[in-house]
Amino acid sequence: MTSRTNAPNAPGRGLRATTTVALVALTAAVACGGGQTRLNLFSTDWTDDNGTSIDRVWQRIGSKPVPPAVDFVVGVAGRDDKMIGLDLASGSKWTFQHPLDARPVIAGSVVVASGGGEVFALEAATGKVIWRRPTGGLALLGAGDDGSVTVATFRRAGDTGSVLLAVTHDGQIVRQIETKKALGAPAVVAGMAFVPWAGQYVSVIDLDNGDETARVTLRQETSRAWTESGALWFGGIGFVRFDERIREASKGKASTVSVPPRELPGMPKLIPAGTEALPASANAEDKTREYAKPESGDAMASLADGRWYGTYFRLAMGFDAEHARLAWVHLHRANYIGGAAAAGGLVLCDDQGHVTELDAAHGATLSEANLGEPLLACVVNIDGERANGTPTDAKSLAAQLEEAVRADDPQLVIAQKLLLRELATVDDDSATKALVDAASDPRTSPDLLVDARTALANRRNGAVFMEAALARHYDFLKDVLRTPPVGPIAQALGAMKEKNAAPLLAAHLLDPADTEDDVKQAAAALAVLAGPGELPALREFFGMYRATGDDDDMASAVVSVGQAMATIASPADKSARAQVEAAATDPNTVAYARDRLGALLSAQPVAPDPAPARPKNKKK
Amino acid sequence: MRASPLAAALGAAVAVAFVLALPFSVRAQQPASTAPRTPTAATPPAPPKAPKGEYAAPAAVPLAPDAIKRLKSGDLGQIKGALDDIRVSGRAGAAAVPAIVELLKQGLPPTMTQSAIETLGETSSEGASEVLGWYAHHRNVALRRAAIEALGKTRGPIAIKTLRASLSDPDENVRGLSATALGELKAKEAVGDLFVALDHKVEEAAASIGELCDPAECVRLAGKLGSVPFDVMTGGLDQVLLRPPKDVDDETKIKIVGRVRELGTAETNAFLKDVQTKWPPKSAPRVKQAIDQAVIATSGSPGSSAPEGSP
Repeated sequence: MTSRTNAPNAPGRGLRATTTVALVALTAAVACGGGQTRLNLFSTDWTDDNGTSIDRVWQRIGSKPVPPAVDFVVGVAGRDDKMIGLDLASGSKWTFQHPLDARPVIAGSVVVASGGGEVFALEAATGKVIWRRPTGGLALLGAGDDGSVTVATFRRAGDTGSVLLAVTHDGQIVRQIETKKALGAPAVVAGMAFVPWAGQYVSVIDLDNGDETARVTLRQETSRAWTESGALWFGGIGFVRFDERIREASKGKASTVSVPPRELPGMPKLIPAGTEALPASANAEDKTREYAKPESGDAMASLADGRWYGTYFRLAMGFDAEHARLAWVHLHRANYIGGAAAAGGLVLCDDQGHVTELDAAHGATLSEANLGEPLLACVVNIDGERANGTPTDAKSLAAQLEEAVRADDPQLVIAQKLLLRELATVDDDSATKALVDAASDPRTSPDLLVDARTALANRRNGAVFMEAALARHYDFLKDVLRTPPVGPIAQALGAMKEKNAAPLLAAHLLDPADTEDDVKQAAAALAVLAGPGELPALREFFGMYRATGDDDDMASAVVSVGQAMATIASPADKSARAQVEAAATDPNTVAYARDRLGALLSAQPVAPDPAPARPKNKKK
Repeated sequence: MRASPLAAALGAAVAVAFVLALPFSVRAQQPASTAPRTPTAATPPAPPKAPKGEYAAPAAVPLAPDAIKRLKSGDLGQIKGALDDIRVSGRAGAAAVPAIVELLKQGLPPTMTQSAIETLGETSSEGASEVLGWYAHHRNVALRRAAIEALGKTRGPIAIKTLRASLSDPDENVRGLSATALGELKAKEAVGDLFVALDHKVEEAAASIGELCDPAECVRLAGKLGSVPFDVMTGGLDQVLLRPPKDVDDETKIKIVGRVRELGTAETNAFLKDVQTKWPPKSAPRVKQAIDQAVIATSGSPGSSAPEGSP
């Protein structure tokens, strides 16, 4: 059952007076008194009206302008008892001390917050209290504001229902509704409150009379309503615009836009559930988020700049809205805990109190602001602002990926694995260099190292960087304590038929610091790449290991080297092939290699001596 | 019919053991002609003489005449026996070096490889250094260690080059053996590398630097006091102080004694006392006086055995 309080003309109570009355007590008192009406608000026996009622609302208010909300940042600091406001347009700041039991909300031109047994609204521009009401300890879910009325929803403790409160900017209660339903975060436009609930409905409540004048059934999860980009939006997993197509929402034909599905670390949410109060302090979900700015296209809704964004601790990523391809990645110095997409970019707030504006195209830093102290949580609202400015740290995607992948930060490893795969798809020599560096860096985590090596083995460019890496060897006195990724480089260079690499690979055959697998891959590549210049190293390796290479990798390397020796031995000097032939029949040769060498030689008969060159006929 | 190589080897081993049991001075004077000879030794090549002024090797058992033939037999048993014979022959086995080198170049099973490497070391033949250089970077660390030890005996530029490179080996023991071998080979050109090695906690480098350093380098070594553990430093400083004056002058030694004395610990007192007891009589009286004074000055250090001021 839903109870509704109609109090349009509450006599001008002072703020002090209103705080002395608990909201719940007030509700109970009024519910038993006069002026109360009982309507079928939020009823579940409602039959879909095929969009008739919501279309009526659209016809009524669709042409009315939706005032832009402030471009504003609110940081939560102290011990969940301090708010710091930053006006992004003017740069002005304020602080406000008050206990908080939920995340503040920026709505229209006000900041709404709850805590200490009351809900209150601050003027965003100044940080001054414009109204406050007792709540009995209910935590704020969400709020909307149309410039004259603020509508806020609260969740009862113990999952026993919700309360909707509409308050004018002069502190008068316009409407107060209690329901057992789980309401989401509301919006208000032209005296109409839009209240998502039950995951699929948005009820429109006329604040003048408290009636539910319309309802729309949406075909996607919805728990929030808000105004942005001059329009009213509903959302949960995507964005649904309130426009002339809203009447067809129940048929799935509303103007909608969402971010395409894509693997991202931490399973980030685009829109946090509006039916749960967000804690005053940020949690892990705030560090792994998706952001996008819906905007009104000519026909359908779309995402501003063709971009959507993701954050993962210190990383921000920009994606192509159509194909979800990674466009850029930005490595930050601190963990992101809040943000909002803007036209032209993304505004993010970190746990050290910095607010950074990144450009949509490349993820470069456009501007920075500072709230002045570390934050527990941060709320960013961007509506009218367009990100612009001169990027200060523009880099290529390959360079950005390299920086992100090589960041020495254990909490980033899951994202780094994903970014490494992205790096592998960048068709650029610099991406190869980045993979070589990641696979060579002793700080690279073991998890990431495996992926880096795999990606490197599949590269088909950047040979010069691979060869530079091969020139390095383990050297204790020079503090080079990690060998280069010889195996994957050998695989790549072998596939690229890069004969310049043969001497470098031959040197690694003989390096005891390299792993057996690396040696095996180097030998396999040399079977393709080696020339006469490598014969001394090949013979040295073959002699040392054909009877001592007692594991499969080394025995396999012996076979590959034997193959190279038999192939490149010159007709004039058959001693290398003879060495292989002798080993193929010598019982001291490790069995694995002996068997395969025999088969190899059978399949590769001795090349006939070249016929002596005939003297050329001299022209007479 | 040839004599059993094993019997010859055993006989030679007994003889070598007997010779080694003699005091050093007696061993050094032992004429080669008094060494026991195997009855089958026909006309063995004369063992190479030790360089003048260096350690004189004990008289060697002549190389068994069929040793080379057995090395080339292809039979592992015969090769093993031949290697044992050659090892006992020491420098006298130099004639077999090319055959052993060829075996190692063609490849042998691990235990035989190790035996061949050790045998090459016993021949002290520079001709073995190249193939020992191969095995100095074999993946089997036991073979690497054996090769490094052998290179310390075969000498020559290839050996020194390989040993310098092996100061950077992944294996700690290989690095230590290389440092020691460079000292034994008097590889003065490696002193710079040895300092780097010492800074990288290759402790054996201290003693080798002590053996090889010029006066300035010796002072540099003493400068490591305080940053390198004292028990590591004593190995090098001991060498420096006891080197002949033509290698390290008295002023340098007095400077080093002064640096040690400044530490003023019981350890330094014990070290200085040890040097005091080893000091050659009537040698470098100024240095001796500095040592004596340093012993007295450090005798009151906490933990030292003598009270301050006692001689």
